[in-house]
Amino acid sequence: MNQFRKTLLGLSTAVCIMGMTAAAQADTLKIGLAGPATGPVAQYGDMQKIGVMAAIEDINKAGGVNGMMLEGVIYDDACDPKQAVAVANKIVNDGIFHVVGHLCSSSTEPASDIYEEEGVLMITAASTSPSITEKGHQMLFRTIGLDSLQGSMAAQYILGSAKPARIAVIHDKQQYGEGLATAVRDQLAEGGLKATMFEGVTPGDKDFSALIAKLKKENVDFVYYGGYHPELGLILRQSAEKGFGAQFMGPEGIVNADLAKIAGDASEGVLATAPKSFDQNAVNQARVEAIKAKGEDPTGPFVFTAYAAVEVMTNAMTATKSTDTEKLAAYIRANEADTAIGKIKYDEKGDLTESTFLVYRLHKDGSKSPAQ
Amino acid sequence: MSEFSLYLLQQLINGLTIGSTYALIAIGYTMVYGIIGMINFAHGEIYMIGSYITFIVIAGLMSMGIVSLPIILIIALVVAMFMASTYGWAVERVAYRPLRGTNRLIPLISAIGMSIFLQNAVGISQGFRDVALPPMVSGGWAFGNPADFEVTVSYMQVIIFAVTFVTMTLLTLFISKSRMGRACRACAEDLGMTNLLGINTNKVIALTFIIGAALAAIAGLLLGLYYGVVNPFVGFIAGLKAFTAAVLGGIGSIPGAVLGGLILGVTEAMTAAFFPSEYKDVVAFGLLITILLFRPSGLLGKPEIEKV
Repeated sequence: MNQFRKTLLGLSTAVCIMGMTAAAQADTLKIGLAGPATGPVAQYGDMQKIGVMAAIEDINKAGGVNGMMLEGVIYDDACDPKQAVAVANKIVNDGIFHVVGHLCSSSTEPASDIYEEEGVLMITAASTSPSITEKGHQMLFRTIGLDSLQGSMAAQYILGSAKPARIAVIHDKQQYGEGLATAVRDQLAEGGLKATMFEGVTPGDKDFSALIAKLKKENVDFVYYGGYHPELGLILRQSAEKGFGAQFMGPEGIVNADLAKIAGDASEGVLATAPKSFDQNAVNQARVEAIKAKGEDPTGPFVFTAYAAVEVMTNAMTATKSTDTEKLAAYIRANEADTAIGKIKYDEKGDLTESTFLVYRLHKDGSKSPAQ
Repeated sequence: MSEFSLYLLQQLINGLTIGSTYALIAIGYTMVYGIIGMINFAHGEIYMIGSYITFIVIAGLMSMGIVSLPIILIIALVVAMFMASTYGWAVERVAYRPLRGTNRLIPLISAIGMSIFLQNAVGISQGFRDVALPPMVSGGWAFGNPADFEVTVSYMQVIIFAVTFVTMTLLTLFISKSRMGRACRACAEDLGMTNLLGINTNKVIALTFIIGAALAAIAGLLLGLYYGVVNPFVGFIAGLKAFTAAVLGGIGSIPGAVLGGLILGVTEAMTAAFFPSEYKDVVAFGLLITILLFRPSGLLGKPEIEKV
């Protein structure tokens, strides 16, 4: 038995080593693409896939990187932290050292520990939780701004442009929503605007009439809502029915065409902080057309952040003439990169130095336009 | 009236409406329990299916060019009640009848399984995301001073309130006066003996489920129109609240279900009115525990008689 086990161990080690050398010698460089391909948020995984595949195609057309052609390999973590760990281990075992992903913050966080340990370079195009880069990982970067930046951006806009008399801050008691709502409330207080109300609603609730009556009684003229579109949609719809006409504002979580479907006319003019629409950038127009030609949607918020993630990697590979992840990470940290989302620079933690968010006004047809 | 009393009135109206929605679903729970002593946990899902059918029928009729609101609503109601009843009957036939007479826990587990099955079946066929319907019945009355505080009552709120009371009355009459209702009460008392006396108990129980499902479909239509949104999980939360209302009022008692629903709804609204609204469930369920401590069979329930 013991003998058998030893043989098995030796054999598998040999296979592993063979596998790794094989990958290193090949003329294709595999880029792991980790995110949800199935499950409730698979639509966001699709956006990431569209962006990465478009970038890889463009780079290969231009001759590849350092003589190597890129190949995207898709791994499905279903936005589940447990599966994300399994996927990370599989990527390591498959001998892939360059990963775009993961998508959900709750998946990125556990997976990043494994990549850090194994020296796998990872760039997430969608995870916005501030805690991810707090661990001091060297191999981790992102091409999207932080949640916490959305809060201060919203607060600045409220103090500078909206200037309401009485503001209420409402949230859905979840990590994302309450965290943002707290940040907004605190920064408004610093700016001299004290929130009249600060309270939570229950996710999944359908009836907000009691809350709306209270907002009406308090003569609130501006509501910041930290949470997602299903609850805010109903709050907007019921506010309109009850003749409560304050200005509403929310984070990226409310930016979804479903908001307009749920709230109808009441969704017109709602403010939201959201990632900039990179598909409008002049530099991306040819790419947008190419993606459309394939019958895919280039407008998703993560399409061009994912595109940029590939660019950041390949830029560094070209500049350092290497695929060694330590060198790449050092290069990315030290140098500015020109990407699909503009010129970007990183701080020590691997976060973007400038926010990629902008304040938008949402419209009842599901579209949005920059707010001024 | 002062601003405060207007505000109080508005919250009371809100609470009564929420309470009526709980009551409407709770009636179905309590009726099935009253007759076969079993909690039909899939009842919330039948309500959800009722909402979906309403949405599909309304969307279909509107795309066919029919715009008359009463016609749309009547057709939607008839179709939803019929389809939901079919589901109710099928659920009883598949998940409960084969298990009748076994340990009480077994049909309970089977009911929970049915509930999860229906949630996911609807989710897979219709999508897990919210489906929305534009407001159909809009408008209402407003009174009070707009500068101070304006109380609004929408037509939908009045309709929900009225339908709940009409349903409660009709159902109570059906159970206490009709021949079939008498058979139902006999089944509630002693299933085996009723059967021996020549009443087809299978038929009576199936009918109970059909009526319960039809009521859930009415609730699904009204609440679907009121909130304008449905997703595969609405049945779970609504079912939980309705079940609470039924227990609070005394499970098995139809007026009790309505009373329980109204108390629960008003408590929630009043808590949200004067405390941060995240405390509304704490207070509402605290109230439930307190009432059950002093009246274990609920407000209008009869003390449990051990059945053999």
